[in-house]
Amino acid sequence: MSNFRRAAPGGAPPPGPSILKTLQAAEMIDTKPLLPAEIIAAILDYLPVSDLMRFARASRRMREMVYDDTRWVARLRSMGCWDEVEARRRFDDAMKRRREQASRASVSTGAGPKPAMTTTLFDASVEEERRKAQQLQRQHVADLQDGFETMKITGQAPTLAHSKDPEALLAVIKSVQSVRGHARQEYGRIYGALAPFYFDLAQAKTHTDPIVFQVFRDPERQAQMLSNLQVFSHSDWSQGWRQREEKLSSMVSIFESAVLREFEQGYEFWDVDGRMKKYAGVLCILNGGAAGIDLFVQKHPLFTDRAVLANAMDCVNQAPADTVTLEPSRRFFEVLAAKVDEQAEIIERIFPEPSPVFWSFVDKVREEIIMEYITPLFDETHERSIPSYLKAVSGLFEQTLQFFRTLKAPKGAAADQEARAKELVLKVFEPHLDLYLQDELDTFTRQAEREVGDWEKKLSAQDASVESFYMANFNNRQADKRDFLTSFKKVVMMPVSVLPTSLSLPLGSPFSSSKPASSSTTAANGNSLQATPQPSRPHSPSLTAANAPDRTSSPLPGKAPNDELAAKAALMTSRLEGIKSLFSIEVALGLVHSAKASLGRVAVFIQLGGQAGGEAREQCEAIFVTLLRILGGRHVKPGFDKAVAHLSQYNPREVSQHERGVAPLVTFIELVNVGDLISQMIDVFYEQQLAGPRIADRNDFLDPAGLAKKKFEQMLDESVAAGLNKGIDVLMDEVEYLCATTQLPTDYNPSATTSDPTSEKPVPAPAPPPRLDDIGPTPTARRIRDLVESHTKMLVGSTDKSMLDVFNGEVGLRLFAAVCKHLKRQRVSTEGAIKLIADMNLYFDYVRTLKNADLLAYFKALRELSQIYLIDARSHAKEMATIIADSDRFSGVFRAEEVYEYAERRADWYQVKRDVERAMYGLECVVM
Amino acid sequence: MTAETTAKSGRINLQSNDGITIEVDRAVAERSILIKNLIDDLGVEAVTPQTPIPITNVNDSVLRKVLEWCEKHRADQPSAEEENDSRKKTTEIDEWDMKFMQVDQEMLFEIILAANYLDIKALLDVGCKTVANMIKGKSPDEIRKTFNITNDFTPEEEEQIRRENEWAEDR
Repeated sequence: MSNFRRAAPGGAPPPGPSILKTLQAAEMIDTKPLLPAEIIAAILDYLPVSDLMRFARASRRMREMVYDDTRWVARLRSMGCWDEVEARRRFDDAMKRRREQASRASVSTGAGPKPAMTTTLFDASVEEERRKAQQLQRQHVADLQDGFETMKITGQAPTLAHSKDPEALLAVIKSVQSVRGHARQEYGRIYGALAPFYFDLAQAKTHTDPIVFQVFRDPERQAQMLSNLQVFSHSDWSQGWRQREEKLSSMVSIFESAVLREFEQGYEFWDVDGRMKKYAGVLCILNGGAAGIDLFVQKHPLFTDRAVLANAMDCVNQAPADTVTLEPSRRFFEVLAAKVDEQAEIIERIFPEPSPVFWSFVDKVREEIIMEYITPLFDETHERSIPSYLKAVSGLFEQTLQFFRTLKAPKGAAADQEARAKELVLKVFEPHLDLYLQDELDTFTRQAEREVGDWEKKLSAQDASVESFYMANFNNRQADKRDFLTSFKKVVMMPVSVLPTSLSLPLGSPFSSSKPASSSTTAANGNSLQATPQPSRPHSPSLTAANAPDRTSSPLPGKAPNDELAAKAALMTSRLEGIKSLFSIEVALGLVHSAKASLGRVAVFIQLGGQAGGEAREQCEAIFVTLLRILGGRHVKPGFDKAVAHLSQYNPREVSQHERGVAPLVTFIELVNVGDLISQMIDVFYEQQLAGPRIADRNDFLDPAGLAKKKFEQMLDESVAAGLNKGIDVLMDEVEYLCATTQLPTDYNPSATTSDPTSEKPVPAPAPPPRLDDIGPTPTARRIRDLVESHTKMLVGSTDKSMLDVFNGEVGLRLFAAVCKHLKRQRVSTEGAIKLIADMNLYFDYVRTLKNADLLAYFKALRELSQIYLIDARSHAKEMATIIADSDRFSGVFRAEEVYEYAERRADWYQVKRDVERAMYGLECVVM
Repeated sequence: MTAETTAKSGRINLQSNDGITIEVDRAVAERSILIKNLIDDLGVEAVTPQTPIPITNVNDSVLRKVLEWCEKHRADQPSAEEENDSRKKTTEIDEWDMKFMQVDQEMLFEIILAANYLDIKALLDVGCKTVANMIKGKSPDEIRKTFNITNDFTPEEEEQIRRENEWAEDR
């Protein structure tokens, strides 16, 4: 492969006939080293271009190596002038055209194979004429390599242009095309245009010497040329490039500082459209104009403009004690925005590319003005009071973001304004963010705990025993709850605004203490909401009255939902008077609202995205988790525990008044209702505040907020279940107590007090009782039914459906047991049986409303059973025996022995016993 | 373990193609990637004074010269910049190398070939740069003479190449 030929053996032997000499020559041939092609290629890499071309003239192989396209592509690429995509496209186009041409040519002439061979080496963009000329030439020098002939055209141009057309010289780099096979020619154009200046500059002694500055007189062109030369220097990698490049860059910096001086002078005279614009343009051409931008930004008068610099303390001083007002800061941002917009316009006039200038200017504004404003304000408010600090941080964040967003960026800069704004805001708030997020959570936790604690204190101060149990119309419960929840939803959905200007409502909306009483109707309710529940609550009648107009006014826009919610909360509370000692829906509402305020403040930071946004999001979830922890652990759970404790202490015999059902159970069921309400509230809150704005992911089962919510709901369910368990016991105690105390012996055995029943019982069929108004269930049964029914109904819609079913089933079963037990204590006569049957029908009808098939079977059996008392045993002992033995009749609920036991409760049992037993045991033949 | 560490710091033997054995530090010899890979593959134990590594393409004088260079540059770190773009911006020849390369042309080529064979990139670069400096400023005829190239161009062809590359000529 070597191109270095050794001395030809033929030429080596000297004329002298010395054999020694010949031998020496031969030996020389052996030792003369051969340099392989890749080494020659490596050597060529270190050669200056001029030597390369001389090298090419040494031999064909040398030329081939020098002309190798990749060598020149590499140089173009080093200057950033080579576009591989463009080259490929041109190549493909060329191939297509070649193919067409080749097919045409092969048809017309016999010269087919030749052009086909050359096509792969030539590239496309040459025009048709040129190609024809080439083909002509090719016939002359058929064996010459390709890429050869075109050089005449491209190669001559620069040398001609050198002195004649300086404009072409300036544009030479831009006009480079990426054509495969033509890289050398393209590079040749650049080299021809720039190399003279380049090498001249490299040898120049002073900055006045280089011909660059003589050929081009005006600074724009000088700058353009220098910038071209800088690009060109990248492709110079022969020996000594470092010195040349250093020389070039020192020349450039001399030039740059001269231009900068001019720019600065223009700056001092504020000669915007004259010198400033001109020299900014020059700097931009030279090297992007970074130095000019720096100068402009650094020396900008805005940063010393006293009019802009406001006193951050205004925000604190103009507000009432321990609060903060964001009005002065808003004004500050307004003034600043106006100023910056003004400057943006000037920047656009001065700089050819205003976008980077503008943003570096804005960045400087951020650092020098905004940070200076914000930091002391935060420090001050943090020292004075934490709530105002929280408000200030969140509010200023929004204002700042707004400020950056609304800046009138010069054209071309607007596209990424959003991203830039976020970046800048992040820079402003980064130092404060951690502290703020921590404080926000701490504050919320403290506040929530204080609220619960306050309530507990108030409660213990009161005498817990004076609870009055207030039973409102329970039938309407679900409607009320729905009503309440819709109001709640409306309020929750209202944006928490920390900017006092954008909304007429103050921070935290209806729950903040600064809320003015907006209407006289709702003022009372509003007050009762802010304070803890008990004090000064209006009477429920007046509230119901107040509620009525509220409902009608609910479709009204504006602040209605808040007041409406307040009113409804108060109404709800008044309805739920009975449980005020356990937990309060108002406290829950208060907690949820302070959580919402905190969340709203933190949530604005989420839009930052990235790490800061992620932290803010985590903090949001933490606030939610804390809310649930305090609400659940500190408030709801103890309430339930207390209620359950009350339940278990209940003893019907110690309670004098039984008119209103089992008091603790009622309380408890109320509690379940409120618990359910709170749970729904939390759910709405979660959906609206966390899942809605994508703070928490509903589908992520590891999400802490979702987990906390589940845990809360689970806690609620468990408490309810535990309470219901106790509740059933208590309910049954009450049922038994009622049975024992109210059932008169005459109820089922009316004849016991009158005369001997045996003489008056001739009736074969169910005898109509003597008095019609006596028909129907006994009062005891009615009361039991009412008692059980009222309690089970209270639960409807407040707990889980399945839990409710279990509860009802259990209640039914226990009721059944209680009734059976009760029945075994009674004595039933045939006349009384009517009453008994009526009672049983009453129970049956009630149980049917529970829609529980299993349960129904029991009561059906009970109903059947009650009929055995109706049978006139003396004449129908046999039938009675059949019934007793007929277990199918009771669908397996009672065994024959049990039925027999019940039959023993007949008032006339001892008279009929023998008959019946005989019938039962088949002792038909009697030994009398 | 100890054997290996002594071998690591120890010396190894290289044998040139004219049969002369040279003993050098292993670290010096391992400037050559060829030798380094060979030792890595065979294991140090394989290289004993009895079985020197044969360097078949290099004679004694050239090998000594190459090893002299390796000795001088034994501590060089392989520069990273050469890896990413070998054609671009190579560093200048330092003074010692310049002196080192002041040998007759034949020896220079032998060194380059040896460096190529032994895979010593830095030495190869220095050699190529030296050759490039030799060519610099020479006429085609002088280049041919220097490298013993036969001219296979007609004068017209040669003139043609000169003309089409006029842009590159020094002015």
